[in-house]
Amino acid sequence: MIRIRFHGRGGHGMKTAGRIAGTAAFLEGYYAQDFPVYGAERRGAPITAYTRISKDRILERGIFSEPDIVIIADESLINDPAANPLQGVTKKTITIINTMVNDIKDKFSILGIVNTIDATGLCLEIIGKGSAVSAALGGAACRIIGIIQKDNLINAVIKELKNINLPEELIEKNVEVAEKCYEILSPIIIQHGEDIPDSPIETITLPYQYPTMSSPSVFSSGNIIEKKTGGWRIFKPVINLEKCNKCWICFVYCPEGVISLDESEYPHIDYDHCKGCLICYEECPVKVITVEREIETW
Amino acid sequence: MARELLTGNAAAAWGVRLADVDYVPAFPITPQTEIIETLSGWYSDGTMKGKFVTMDSEHSMLTAAGAASATGARVFTATSSQGLLYAFEVLYSVAGWRVPLVMVNVSRALSSPITLEPDHNDILSARDCGFLQIHTETCQEVLDSVIMSYKLAEDRRVLLPVLVNLDGYYLSFTREPVEIPDADKVKDFLPQYKPDHASFHASGPMAQGLAVLGGYIYSYFKYQMHLASLNALSVHEEIAEEFYNLFGRKYGVVEEYKLDDAEYVLIMSNTFATKGKAAVEKFREIGCKVGLLRLRVVRPLPTKKIQDILKNRKGTAVIDQNISIGYGGIFYSEIAALMCNEANKPVILSFICGLGGKDISMKEFQKILDDTINASLTGNIPGTQLLYTDVEWAKMKHLLDVAGKPVI
Ligand code: SF4
Ligand code: SF4
Repeated sequence: MIRIRFHGRGGHGMKTAGRIAGTAAFLEGYYAQDFPVYGAERRGAPITAYTRISKDRILERGIFSEPDIVIIADESLINDPAANPLQGVTKKTITIINTMVNDIKDKFSILGIVNTIDATGLCLEIIGKGSAVSAALGGAACRIIGIIQKDNLINAVIKELKNINLPEELIEKNVEVAEKCYEILSPIIIQHGEDIPDSPIETITLPYQYPTMSSPSVFSSGNIIEKKTGGWRIFKPVINLEKCNKCWICFVYCPEGVISLDESEYPHIDYDHCKGCLICYEECPVKVITVEREIETW
Repeated sequence: MARELLTGNAAAAWGVRLADVDYVPAFPITPQTEIIETLSGWYSDGTMKGKFVTMDSEHSMLTAAGAASATGARVFTATSSQGLLYAFEVLYSVAGWRVPLVMVNVSRALSSPITLEPDHNDILSARDCGFLQIHTETCQEVLDSVIMSYKLAEDRRVLLPVLVNLDGYYLSFTREPVEIPDADKVKDFLPQYKPDHASFHASGPMAQGLAVLGGYIYSYFKYQMHLASLNALSVHEEIAEEFYNLFGRKYGVVEEYKLDDAEYVLIMSNTFATKGKAAVEKFREIGCKVGLLRLRVVRPLPTKKIQDILKNRKGTAVIDQNISIGYGGIFYSEIAALMCNEANKPVILSFICGLGGKDISMKEFQKILDDTINASLTGNIPGTQLLYTDVEWAKMKHLLDVAGKPVI
């Protein structure tokens, strides 16, 4: 059994990546099971998708916490507690990260084999858009496990993207992306973890607690400011203050309310929370906002 | 016949398509919406002939479904969780009309707190209304059960609506290989529905769901529903046999997994039964004779069948993925009741687990087995146990802390 776990944000296409891997394995003659887990459907919120591939019938369901392969669609997810993509990663796990950061393994002390791929760059180059990386990372997963022929990957990409009603032309470009990933990467031998016979879990008897504790209420004040929502940015707007005429149009139009004005009434962007929608860039009447590819959000 | 990867939701939609359903009133709710989305696509592109209508609520939706079924149309609808509760009044009404519609419920734990993940308090709240209930474990079973349900519901010995249950997320959004039966073969299995008891049409006026005063009249109708429901047990056997002959897949009113020589029996329902089977495999590897009984047809409850299976065993553990607050497990109370007059009955233990989609770890299965063996040896039977692990408790304490409620 091979267990692959995909981590991304709403909009990255990780549910589809999981399905591409599932379908490709199914076409290859394996048993496959795939499913996504997400809360409220919202762009940018962390989602996880799971794919199991096996020669025999799969007697497992639901989430798994000992993945053989972890695919991460964006390095800003690594430290996000809501995503927790490194959960269950051991010396035997293979982690594939879509990133341009070089020393990522050491930086985040990731155990096991770590490979990086600039899937966003590939998508930008071939498709002209970098937000959805489903074909790239689905393709990466299929290549890494070493049991999927290229034809079946291509057929799986076509099938799954047709399923979400992508136009023909876009599907072709996605196929190209998947093929490219297939060529760039090579199979890695999967070292299965043991069957975890002595898991450290113990069952307990839950104590009664007063409703001050046990009713589903929250007493602490808002902490949303601590939640950095800028991680999803692919492009970063940068204001050239020297040329800015202080018209405040960007300040008014920013849907996230993350542009503030300083004492001299110049606009400043809070990059911890700017989602990179580029509305400010579109709206600035004198075009003094430029756009840079985001390399490393934080 | 084609083999495809389908989600539980897509499998349900395929069952409806193959059953050649005439009318689908719909209202969306996570995690069910994919079913009606799929169907609306098929109706709008002409793949399916019939009418798909979006309604203003589940209450109207089920009323429309019942009314359409009373004209002789073959009707399908689907909901989940809060939606089922919103339609609650109508469940009783349409069951009383004896109309054979099929409704899918995608299980999702009830608010509050609010969640999207499954447990069975929603479907079991509809336990007493007169709908038959079939609880499924796999995507294949979902597809097959929808088709079988029409045949069961439309049989003159039954004529009651059916609720087919599948778990949210763990089945609704999970894809696995499913054989899609040939449409022609399904037509042979499931001929057109021709009602003679409830068949409104323009030239043939009739009255349905009348007011009755005087308890003996009301009782007559309710007893008839009960007797019809009980008939469904033998009718299911017939239908299952025919289905097996045509399609090669066999469904019992319950599923018996490695029960032949089993001394201990785990009782479960729905998708987490797969986890139970994996646990059975593990226990058997170390020589422990354990099997699993999966409840499939839940209404009518196959009491005789379950009695026959459980008697002469040493111990039984009922794992309820539901909680009757202030009592315990719903299935436990039913199993305990049906065994209470049996001689040579096993000890019967009650465990609550998997609420709101909570995982059931191997360690918890181990505890269930250990406690059951222990109780059968000592005769000391513990009360209902609410399963939880130290790892979950640690995480919960952290969340309470974040919420401004530090655990001292
Ligand atoms: S890119 Fe969007 S979110 Fe960021 S500052 Fe501009 S308008 Fe606001
Ligand atoms: S819209 Fe452009 S010019 Fe106007 S305040 Fe913003 S950056 Fe300056």
